[in-house]
Amino acid sequence: MNDKYAPHIEELAKALDGIDHDDIKIELDKLIRFRVPLEEAKRTVLNKFSSKEAPEIKIKDISNAPKSFTLKGRITSVEKRNFVLKGETVDLYSGKILDETGVCLFTAWNDFCLNEGDIIRVHHAYMKLWNNRPELNFGQRSIVEKLPEDPSIPRTEQLFTQTKKIIEINSSDLLVSSQGIVTEMYHRDVTVKGKDTTIIEGVIADETGKLPFTSWVPMDGVDIGNAISFKAAHVRIFRGIPSLNFTHETSWELLPDNKCPFSKNKIMTHEPTSIPIASVLEKNGLFDAVVTGNIISVRPGSGLIERCPVCNRVVQNNVCRAHGTVEGVKDMRIKAILDDGTGAVYIMLNRELSETIYGRSMDEAENIIKLSLSKDAVYESMKRSLIGTYLTVRGNSSKSEFGTTIVARSVWVPEDDLLSRLESLLLKLPEDV
Amino acid sequence: MAEREIAQRLFAKEFNDSTLSLTSVLSYDVTDMNSPNLLISPTGVRINRIFVVGVITEVENLGSETGKERDLWKARISDPTGVFIVYAGQYQPEAAIFLSTVAVPSYVAVVGKARIYEPEKDSVFISIRPEEINSVESTIRDRWVLDTAELTLNRLDLLSEVFFDKMHGEDLAGSLRSRGIDPESAEAIQDAIAFYGTDQNYISKFKQSVRKALLSIKENAGTEMQQKDNAENVIFELLKELGSAKGVQYSCLLKEAESKGIPEEVADAVIRSLLSKGDCYEPRLGVLKLV
Repeated sequence: MNDKYAPHIEELAKALDGIDHDDIKIELDKLIRFRVPLEEAKRTVLNKFSSKEAPEIKIKDISNAPKSFTLKGRITSVEKRNFVLKGETVDLYSGKILDETGVCLFTAWNDFCLNEGDIIRVHHAYMKLWNNRPELNFGQRSIVEKLPEDPSIPRTEQLFTQTKKIIEINSSDLLVSSQGIVTEMYHRDVTVKGKDTTIIEGVIADETGKLPFTSWVPMDGVDIGNAISFKAAHVRIFRGIPSLNFTHETSWELLPDNKCPFSKNKIMTHEPTSIPIASVLEKNGLFDAVVTGNIISVRPGSGLIERCPVCNRVVQNNVCRAHGTVEGVKDMRIKAILDDGTGAVYIMLNRELSETIYGRSMDEAENIIKLSLSKDAVYESMKRSLIGTYLTVRGNSSKSEFGTTIVARSVWVPEDDLLSRLESLLLKLPEDV
Repeated sequence: MAEREIAQRLFAKEFNDSTLSLTSVLSYDVTDMNSPNLLISPTGVRINRIFVVGVITEVENLGSETGKERDLWKARISDPTGVFIVYAGQYQPEAAIFLSTVAVPSYVAVVGKARIYEPEKDSVFISIRPEEINSVESTIRDRWVLDTAELTLNRLDLLSEVFFDKMHGEDLAGSLRSRGIDPESAEAIQDAIAFYGTDQNYISKFKQSVRKALLSIKENAGTEMQQKDNAENVIFELLKELGSAKGVQYSCLLKEAESKGIPEEVADAVIRSLLSKGDCYEPRLGVLKLV
């Protein structure tokens, strides 16, 4: 390689403290031979060796992890699996890894010689959603460093079958124990793998929050209003919302009233209260959230729409994306943005809720269109009657690439007592003397 | 995905004082007049989008004056602490049409982007470019004042606490973080303190303005609450009186209510609230019945 690059190598070596001159030279040489302009080549080399270490994160933060990160933890199980990709058999290793904050599944796309019990630090790992749950991935670029035994990292994931408050249960939990009151419960007949079974679905609540549950085994003696304590329920994630799954591994017992850490009556008769939208945005999904804010925008696509009779997709000009030309079924909906000054969420209202909030039935809306001869007339009229108004929305929230959305289960105009709010604010504002 | 910018709630007083734009923090010799994306208010709010409810007091068509833009509308929207200036030009056709027909004075809600215009040093104009604008009821204005007062007070209290600890620089940043303030907002607060010299004195003055703002709507809100309570009683009585076993026709109820001096909108709102509270129900469409 030409000596004229020597000063540049010197410069790079200075910037990349601790990297061997020869390594830099080899890399730069490679790029120069490909006729990469010097500036670009230098940048590339700098990037490659740059110790700009990706941030180190903990497993509990994995769902909000940056694109590439470093993580330290213990492998608690690992198994080799293979699958066929384009006619070739590919090996991969999957298992569980944990740190002091939680446990999660991982997939290694290369053989990193991982063994059960190893303490490792993985660099350039990345997160991917698998079955709606964040999963740690070790890819081509990942580097695994084996570390000496670290007693601060727990040995088994059983530890993470820790008892948690309902609100604390999140995607980092695979198994969880908790206590709560069954506030809703019903049986449903389903077919699982060709067999008819009855499952139990419902909602479990404590003083911090509530979650949906499904039991795949009978729950004799448990009814609505009972407080139960359960151990090792599986946590599944659907649209960012955790749900509890009771299987034969799960155990539970009824909690006598005097052992309840919360007031049963309070939870059963709990009136829904609004929470700041900011706290909804923090979560990947929230079950049965209630928020209050102003409608600051009514989105296009609100108003009268037509749906495919087969798949329920919105159709335009009677053409469905999946089913071709169809006879559209009329429907009405509202898509809007609700903002309370702490954050903004998309809200989706179905026909029934749209009719209540808009104050007109779908038939009346159709008349508006007939009279005005404009397809946008209903959308425009919705905007006029909704923008700026206050609304309380109750439903499940979930985060997606389009932002956080609450699909409304119910919706109403908030009616809290302005005067008493005013008085309590004034109390905080003594007159100047 | 980039999160949607929050529509901030600020009183006009604070908004119009927000002369610190994020670009001018980066470089003080901004030559181009193009507006920045972010303003920092004296209490450290990062303003991109703003939500305002107030009284529209004046609408002016500047179209003929400038000659540049065919249609440029300027409106003044007043809250209890001051006036927001709203400009709607050819790229905000909906807002421009709205402004050309709106009744003055009346209550309006505006969602828009904060704009700063600095034609020369020491003369700064802050305005709103509307994204959405709509007529609303007075109760919404009252609630907006309350919400804004609440959020403003939270910010002022946070600042007070920080000042009480007499923190500066890194300590200040740490202290804000420990209070659960995200790094961006913490930075905005530090910038605000450095730029405006926001201090305890500013806070107590501002609190007095907030107090005045609240008092100004107290009377209004009070009478309206009474009116509504009153209307609710009347309609409840009417439902009892007229409601046979089959219930009473909605239109009939409205007519009776009007004859007792309750305007149609009020009656409609009251009926809806009775329905949502579960005091009455609709056995058939357009027929109401007490529970």
